[in-house]
Parts: sequence; C-alpha cells; structure tokens
Amino acid sequence: MMTRCRPLLGTFVEISIDQDLPMDAINNAFASIEIIQGLMGFHNPQSELSQINQLSHQQAIDIHPWTSQVLRVAKEIYHYSGGLFNCGIGHRLVAAGLLPQHIKLANVDLGGIEDIHFLAPDLIQSKRPLCLDLGGIAKGFAVDMAVKILTSEGARSGIVNAGGDLRVFGDTPRRLYLRHPDQTKLVLDIGEFQNCAIATSSLYFAKRDCRQSHIINPLAKEDDDMHVHFEGSCSILAKECIYADALTKVLAISGQEQHPCFERFSAQTIWIRA
Amino acid sequence: MNYKHTSLAIASLAMLTNPIVVQAKIYMSTEQAQQILFPKKILSKAPIIITDDLQEKLRVASSIRHPFQGDRIWKTADGGWFIVDEVVGKHEMITYAVALNPKGSVLGIEILEYVESYGYEVAQAQWRQQFIGKTAQNAIKLNQDIQNIGGATLSCKHLTDGVKRVTVFYDLALKNYPPQSK
Repeated sequence: MMTRCRPLLGTFVEISIDQDLPMDAINNAFASIEIIQGLMGFHNPQSELSQINQLSHQQAIDIHPWTSQVLRVAKEIYHYSGGLFNCGIGHRLVAAGLLPQHIKLANVDLGGIEDIHFLAPDLIQSKRPLCLDLGGIAKGFAVDMAVKILTSEGARSGIVNAGGDLRVFGDTPRRLYLRHPDQTKLVLDIGEFQNCAIATSSLYFAKRDCRQSHIINPLAKEDDDMHVHFEGSCSILAKECIYADALTKVLAISGQEQHPCFERFSAQTIWIRA
Repeated sequence: MNYKHTSLAIASLAMLTNPIVVQAKIYMSTEQAQQILFPKKILSKAPIIITDDLQEKLRVASSIRHPFQGDRIWKTADGGWFIVDEVVGKHEMITYAVALNPKGSVLGIEILEYVESYGYEVAQAQWRQQFIGKTAQNAIKLNQDIQNIGGATLSCKHLTDGVKRVTVFYDLALKNYPPQSK
C-alpha cells in the first residue's frame, strides 16, 4: 500500500496503489498527468491548447494523440448533450477573472467545439476563432491515463483522485465518500465501488472563496444567465473519469437527472440537494 | 463498472452523514520524499539563518505571511536543493517538499502532510503543533479510515504560492551559497 500526492492540474492529485511496486510506477503515472497539463493547460501560453486557441482558425494544427482523444470525446458529449457541454467557453471564464487572458478576444465571433474538424486523426482545424478551455474534461482524462499507466506497470488495484474527481480500479471494493455540499468538513458515505469513476461539480468552494460560478451555460443568450447557479452537488458515476468529469456539467446546467445523455454514456447521477 | 450503492437517491442525509472534524493525511516522511525526489543521492543538511530582512523580502515577493523556516534545507553533492516548507491557508495546512536543480528550477514537489480544517483551528500555532514531526508510521489517529473523498475540485493555489516563495528564496539565499567573499 502506497499513497502519494502532488500538486497538478491546479489541484491535488493523489495516487494510491494496494501493492508495493517500484516507485517508478507512480512516478510514471504522475509524469503522464504532467504531460497532459503541459498539453491542455489554459494557464500556460505555450501549451498545445493555447496554440489551438491562437491558430486553429488560420491553419491546420498537428496535435498530440492525447489532445485529439480529449477533443473527440468533447465533441461527442457536445453532440449528445445538445450543446450543453461545450469547451468553447474559455473567454467567459477569462471575463469572469477565473482564467488568465492570453489573447485579445474583443469583437471576435468565437466558435465552439463544434467548429473543430479533424482533417486526419491528429490534425485539426477550426472554422472560427476559438477560446477552448478543457478544464471541464482534461482532469478526468488525466485520471484515466494515470490508471492506464498504473495497470500497465502492474498495479492490480488502487485509486487516482484529482482533487475530488476520482477513479477506482481493480477488484477491491472501496468505500467512497462525497463532501457534504453545505458543510464541507462532513462527508457522505455513498457505498462501495469497484472499477468506476465519479466526478462532482458544485459551487461550495466557489461560494466559500467568493468567486463567480465556474459553470457556464454555453447556450445562454443573456450575460446574466451565463453563469449557472445551483444548490447542492452534482456527481456522475461512469466507467471512465473523462465522461464522469464532463457529464457533471450537463447535470449542473440542465438540472435534469434524466437527461438522455446519461443513458447514452451509461452514467448515473447523484444530486445531493443540501 | 460495479457498485453497491448505499442509495442513489440520497433522501436522508442524516443517515449518511459521517462527521469529520478534520481531515488529516500523512503521505510520507521527509526521508521518503528525499528518496523520491533525489533517488540514490546523498543529502546533507544545510540550514540557513533567515534574517528579518530576508523574511520581509520573502513576504513581499510571495504575499505569504507565515514565516519561512530555514532549518529544513538539504543540499546534494552536485548542487541540488531539497526544501521542506508548509503553507497555512485559511482552510488547510500543507507540508510539502520541493526539489530544485542547481540552477533553481523545480524538479519535483511532493506533499508530505495535508490537514484540512476551518481557519480558526489551522491559524493557531498550538493546534498545528500536534501535527509537526509526525511520520507516516505514527499517523494522527483522526479519521484515518476515511479515504477516497470525492467532491468539487479543491484548488492548490496556496501551495503554488508556497512553491513560488521557495523559488524566490533560492534566488535570494541559495543561488550564491555559500556566500562568496568579495
């Protein structure tokens, strides 16, 4: 049994495996997350994501297979959520002071994930200028990738938790807890799980720290409706964390636990209405 | 995917509520972090006296008020640095180790301890004292069995500020160490 924790992706990433393996197993899992951070970080003006935001409307861009995987899933969820999940909301988060400003955005008709086209498996171009933020999906992908690395290194069971979005792997049932949305130092026991992921969207830390809601409704017409406000916490259980992570936004924005999108991705919802 | 739910439609919170006074996690000792960040290297302790002037410069550069301690610094034979520091935020206290290469770039960060609680507790030196010097072997007997907590994503901003302070400290005090006589 070994547990380590590093600050990555703007949060604390904790990796725990149940057996003793050479330290390189966990090192390599962390290294894969670092690569994802380098590729998909909005904060880093040199990241591949920043390149996409600056150039993809002018030229075709060759991207890393991992970025391509994330963009494909993002497009898929965009499609099945009827546009409720759209990574093309970076500029809204910049305007709210939640993300740094790298490019001038004024008076530009910005597109969304729907404008990205794959010219080849790892070659994309956009029809319109973009300000994508992968903050709502890349963390889940990073958790999945870390799990993939750990199992390929011989780990039979364990857990990867990226600041609250997590995935358990292996056949050991594990008790999972969710933070109580009203009193964050209390937790709720949600049962025992194996081989699944859970991710959560909630505004309790945003409220605590007096920040604007980071959940953006991409379909909102008026500025006032842009930032979604909701009570409690929205969690999604799915087989892979990338889907769990992205689908929490669909639940939070739609407010519908029965949205057809969840069945499409074999996901289940947990909405704790405090 | 396979799971046994306590309940999916969570109706009765009271039944499911499991109170936590404080979430304390000890990941590893200083020695373990040294082995991870500088594998197979010998580190020698290199404490540095933090003068009031230096302390003030660190505070200005990083906006962290909690004083930096100069007695948790180690050096490798080839000029790398290993520094243990902590951040005391309003909601958490984190002890962490930073490895720097001889030029002051961050090679790696490892969290040693993470204690989450409310501000008034974390802010008290006396309260913090109970966690200092604890190792993974003698972990605090406080909700140790509660692992695997999901929820809204936690931010590591304070820790990032702390790491920034460590790199400023390198520039101000370690870069030209030992101080060369002019």
